[in-house]
Amino acid sequence: MEPIIHLKDVSMVFGCNGTRATALGGISFDVRPGEYVVITGESGSGKSTLLTILGGLQVPTGGAVRIGGADLSALPADGLADFRRETIGFVFQAYHLLPYLTARENVMVPMSPERVSPREKASLADSLLSSVGLTGKEDRLPSQLSGGESQRVAIARALVHDPPVLLADEPTGNLDSATGEQILDLFSDWHGRGKTVLMVTHNKANLSRATRSIRLRDGQVEEDRLLRLLPAEPAAV
Amino acid sequence: MNIRTLAWKNLLRRKSRAVFTGLGIFLGIATFVAISSITSQMEGAVQDQLDRFGANIVVSPRTEQVSLGFGDIALGGTEVAHSRLTMADKERIASIHHKDRIRSIVPFLMTAADASGKNLVWMGLPAGDVAGARPWWKIQGGTGLKRGEVVLGAEAATLLDKGPGGTVTDGNRLYRVAGVLQPTGEKEDGMVIADIADVQGLAKKPGAVTYFEVAALCKDCPVEDIVAQIGQALPGARVSAIRQVVESRKAAVDQLRRLGFGVSAIVLLIGGLMVLVTVMGGVQERTREIGVLRAVGFRKRSIFSLLFWETGWVSLLSSLLGAGTGIAAAYLASPVFGIEHPAIVLTPAIFGAVAGLTLGLLGAVPPARRAAALSPTEAIRSL
Repeated sequence: MEPIIHLKDVSMVFGCNGTRATALGGISFDVRPGEYVVITGESGSGKSTLLTILGGLQVPTGGAVRIGGADLSALPADGLADFRRETIGFVFQAYHLLPYLTARENVMVPMSPERVSPREKASLADSLLSSVGLTGKEDRLPSQLSGGESQRVAIARALVHDPPVLLADEPTGNLDSATGEQILDLFSDWHGRGKTVLMVTHNKANLSRATRSIRLRDGQVEEDRLLRLLPAEPAAV
Repeated sequence: MNIRTLAWKNLLRRKSRAVFTGLGIFLGIATFVAISSITSQMEGAVQDQLDRFGANIVVSPRTEQVSLGFGDIALGGTEVAHSRLTMADKERIASIHHKDRIRSIVPFLMTAADASGKNLVWMGLPAGDVAGARPWWKIQGGTGLKRGEVVLGAEAATLLDKGPGGTVTDGNRLYRVAGVLQPTGEKEDGMVIADIADVQGLAKKPGAVTYFEVAALCKDCPVEDIVAQIGQALPGARVSAIRQVVESRKAAVDQLRRLGFGVSAIVLLIGGLMVLVTVMGGVQERTREIGVLRAVGFRKRSIFSLLFWETGWVSLLSSLLGAGTGIAAAYLASPVFGIEHPAIVLTPAIFGAVAGLTLGLLGAVPPARRAAALSPTEAIRSL
């Protein structure tokens, strides 16, 4: 099976005024469609940098990144924006909902530049909010939602364009364990529907739902472990 | 939900910032519209006053200076008229091409004659035309000039020791004093004013006219055209426009207009800078929000468009509000500037609204470009 994500010797070096800091030091791995990869590591190990590179938010200083057939280092700025819109769904630890918009409007934000009728946009947003269990709360502002509900809105927003890849940066980091479990259920649910999930986390409990674990240390892959086989995969693989 | 509604909702969230952003444009446009409306109406008012205050063209006989001498002895000179004006010339003046622009033609006859034993200048003009030809005259004790009556200039009345109800004789005929002019500071203070027919009889010059005063309505027509046409109708006459008053009043209005434009331009410039600074500050504050939008796939153009629409809404509303306020201010302040019949002048309001919107949008370009150019990495670091 063709990998949906291909990283080859990816490095990221930050530097100014003569100082250099290596965030990633030549990482290589592939992710096949439908995998649920948990990326762990200590603070400063390069997890978040890796996620921003995978999300097309930064271009690595070295190596090659191909996602869904697209060579990210060859894409222009607008190409990267289109890539993010069509291929990637981002879920952040702090939700990052726009506080002046209702839950429905937050989900509609990624569709704002598109020439689709408002009714159609609202209908899709309502359907996604329903799929994350927020029926009846479409008109609430983020300030009127709990942390778990806000994260559900953020997940619905990430799924607006039905992206094949979901990237999550500590999505349960701001939630209590029970609410965190509910959010992980949602990720498992969408993973079950064929999405590829990459989740950065400190929480080792998240490993129970993943198919694969990659541990980073000092910008290198310290461990790349298969946790369980994908349902469609032959046992030999 | 689209970029426009997203921009609008963001504005509603930051109302005080939006108000501050629009304040400069509002003040600039209100100032511009108010001053433009007032100066525009003042121009009309000045012209109306000029028209109302009568003559702006004088028609007199063409004269020539003739030197007199005997041998080497110079005896001075004298003016010799080529022709004389008569009452019949009034019809000729009234028949020019631009006759519809002529409001009044008033003949005057000046002659020196006896007045109750004093040699004074008699000014004759049609009794019924006094109010129209000299609206600024204030006649004490009189209800109007009639045939057989005179109005005495202030100095003449003192000299003759006559007042309203008294009589003045030219040696042959008795005239009732209809009133006394309040001092004007002009030559008529020392004159005896009577109906032109009476003065023609007194001077024994029936139908004679010293000069005509013509009041032409020249708001939209060049007075030179009318002067030329009268000159053609009366080849022996000298026709001259009283330009000094017209030009000086126009110059005053022009100066006021230039001052208004200057003040408006400065206020508008400050308004534009306020937009620039406020929106630029907003971009700094909203790096995180821009990062989220970039993360969910907004292109640079969409970010630019979002900022542009936000400023566009503010500029549009503040421009319209400024234009409305300017119209209202001009209307209310009109009496202070001597405008008797204030009107709503729409042209400066429309121009002002368009200018305000344009300026606001221009002021938004640098910050919007900065926001659009914000690298997703930089924006996302704040997430």
